[in-house]
Amino acid sequence: MFDYNFHWRPVLKSLPDLIQAGLVTLEIASLAMFLGVVIGLCLALMRMNMTGPLKWFAVTWIEIARNTPALFQLFFFGFGLGAFGINLSPFVIILTGLSFNCAGYLAENFRGGFQAIPVMQINSARCLGMNSWQAYTRIVIPQVLRIVYYPITNQMVWAVLMSSLGMLIGFKELSGETQFFASKTFRVFEYFAVAAVIYYVIVKIVLGASRLLAMRLFRY
Amino acid sequence: MKKIITALLSIAALNSVSVTADTLDDVADRGTLRCGVVLDFPPIGYRDANNEPAGFDVDYCNDLAKSLEVDVQIMPLTWSERLPVIATGRADVVFGGTSDSLARARTVGFSIPYAIYYSQGVVNSKSNITSIDDIRGKRVAAALGTLPEQEWLKIAAKWGEENLYQSYQSENEVFLAVAQGKADIGLTTNTAIKPITQQYANLEAGPRMPWVADYTSIVGKRQDVTWLNYLNLFVTHQVRSGRYQELWGKYVGGDAPDLRIPGVMY
Amino acid sequence: MQEPISFFTGFNPNDLWFLGEAALKTLWISILSITVGSVMGCVFGWILHESRFAGGIILAPILDVFRSVPLIIQLVLFYNFAPMVGLDLNPFLSGVVILTFYTASLVSNVARGGIESVEMSMRRASRSLGLTYWQDLFHVVLPIGGRTVFPAWIGVVLGVMKDSALVSVLGYVELLKASQILITRTQEPLLILSIAGVFYFALSYPISLYASRFEKRWAK
Repeated sequence: MFDYNFHWRPVLKSLPDLIQAGLVTLEIASLAMFLGVVIGLCLALMRMNMTGPLKWFAVTWIEIARNTPALFQLFFFGFGLGAFGINLSPFVIILTGLSFNCAGYLAENFRGGFQAIPVMQINSARCLGMNSWQAYTRIVIPQVLRIVYYPITNQMVWAVLMSSLGMLIGFKELSGETQFFASKTFRVFEYFAVAAVIYYVIVKIVLGASRLLAMRLFRY
Repeated sequence: MKKIITALLSIAALNSVSVTADTLDDVADRGTLRCGVVLDFPPIGYRDANNEPAGFDVDYCNDLAKSLEVDVQIMPLTWSERLPVIATGRADVVFGGTSDSLARARTVGFSIPYAIYYSQGVVNSKSNITSIDDIRGKRVAAALGTLPEQEWLKIAAKWGEENLYQSYQSENEVFLAVAQGKADIGLTTNTAIKPITQQYANLEAGPRMPWVADYTSIVGKRQDVTWLNYLNLFVTHQVRSGRYQELWGKYVGGDAPDLRIPGVMY
Repeated sequence: MQEPISFFTGFNPNDLWFLGEAALKTLWISILSITVGSVMGCVFGWILHESRFAGGIILAPILDVFRSVPLIIQLVLFYNFAPMVGLDLNPFLSGVVILTFYTASLVSNVARGGIESVEMSMRRASRSLGLTYWQDLFHVVLPIGGRTVFPAWIGVVLGVMKDSALVSVLGYVELLKASQILITRTQEPLLILSIAGVFYFALSYPISLYASRFEKRWAK
């Protein structure tokens, strides 16, 4: 029954390339997370404090990001926008798609974080003579970041895993590179098995780094 | 006691003479032929207005199933799935314009060629590409795991322009990429040029690619020689009966290419 | 020399049916995987909670793998591995198997959180009233803990429903694959992606709306 012959040699030969591609995965996930956190913060504030078109812009962004598949969003940024003559390179498509998606999810996390902070604190800060910008940046946002630290870590893991969709739009991160090698050697199973191991290691590294960072940040 | 044990052992030994895969028997027992085709490769494989599989390869699947007197199950594949489905035993046979390269022959078995193509570019009319040398500095697209991709990457490596090459998941995405201007030239097969240039006003037939003609074979399990023999016979019968010319005329138009290689005894 | 048939045909009303049927397939594969996966996940969660050894040392790392490797890679690996051991699975079944385990791994964490959210004092009280261990589990822990983690479970449901789009990679004609097929045939990426997006939104948004209402009701 079992008449498949495993060939691991080609995979081992291209292992350095795969590990290199793993770094690209980490890089794209980090970039997308950074953009996602910044945009997500803005979206959360817009959704809570604004009225009119800006609020609706934020709500629309958040709901589309959360209610359609990430892969669908990537296709849209790829061939969907291409129909308008807006042609992005695969790198930009995956970065835009991931940032768009992460921003939508993080915005909701931030909103929950903000709502957990009593209004009393802002009022007190204003009484002490801070302006609203100071009150937000010095009192509210540091606390919110602590509340959403764990969800952000989770989102970073999602970003690493989601970046694997790059293989479907021709971007050569870890999955794309794996697929390219597999298409040359036809050793699909072997290549993807190795890729799975590398992903596992990357995710563990991300979680470990996040724990270390938490130890440094929240020591009091 | 000893006798019994030796008898048992000899029976075990007889059984362990591996029961080789015999696709012909398997297909007959199952009553269906699992036939892989690529459906974004008009006119060789595509979907008609009712989203049903159609095209030259699809008809070849039907003919093969008819010759075996079994039902057919059409499996739509992407280019890069064509060999793994055979290697892992998910399909019995794959049509789908598979070039019979020696590298691939280490993984799967090939019949004699059943159709011959050559690689040709489809270009965006803005790109002013008329010859191979015009492609220098231009963005090139091809489908992942295809012969044009592998051949082009050799040329790109010589020119130091691998960074301008972009692979896509399917032939159709290559066409879309060129039509939308993501790439200047897409590498495809001569048969697909006519339908795709008729579809888009801004696409034109590009130069023929400098590598050899593309001999495509039917793919079967490498270990299963009897099955490959059957496929060879099937190809010759398709030609003899005139069915090859009939289908080629229907889908591609014109005279079907001669399947013999001059100076080679097949 | 006859003129061949036309290979590209425009978008017609039938194709809306085609997409609608595909949306039902997305729903079907999601319901199947989520139902079986949630039941499995609850059992796993209970094991994780109850047993240090079987849960902590054996089960937890296995479930962790499903959460640390991209779903797309899990699907490709399983789809290519099944025939080697003589399982002739079609794309639909392969997708269901992997999505089920993926759901189970996510739900196991949720379920464990649910069990742990019920205070020990309450469970002791129920046992002292003469309830058996199982009665306590089903009549005390399940309703109380379940309510606490219901929003988290809805989050998993929505996630899996969107992730089912990845089964398109195996060739199962769900919503996203159907839209790709139509794009190939009609060459109208923008129109078809928009319609597919609306379908996804229609599947996902009502559930997330219901979940947020539910949360508000319980917050009171």
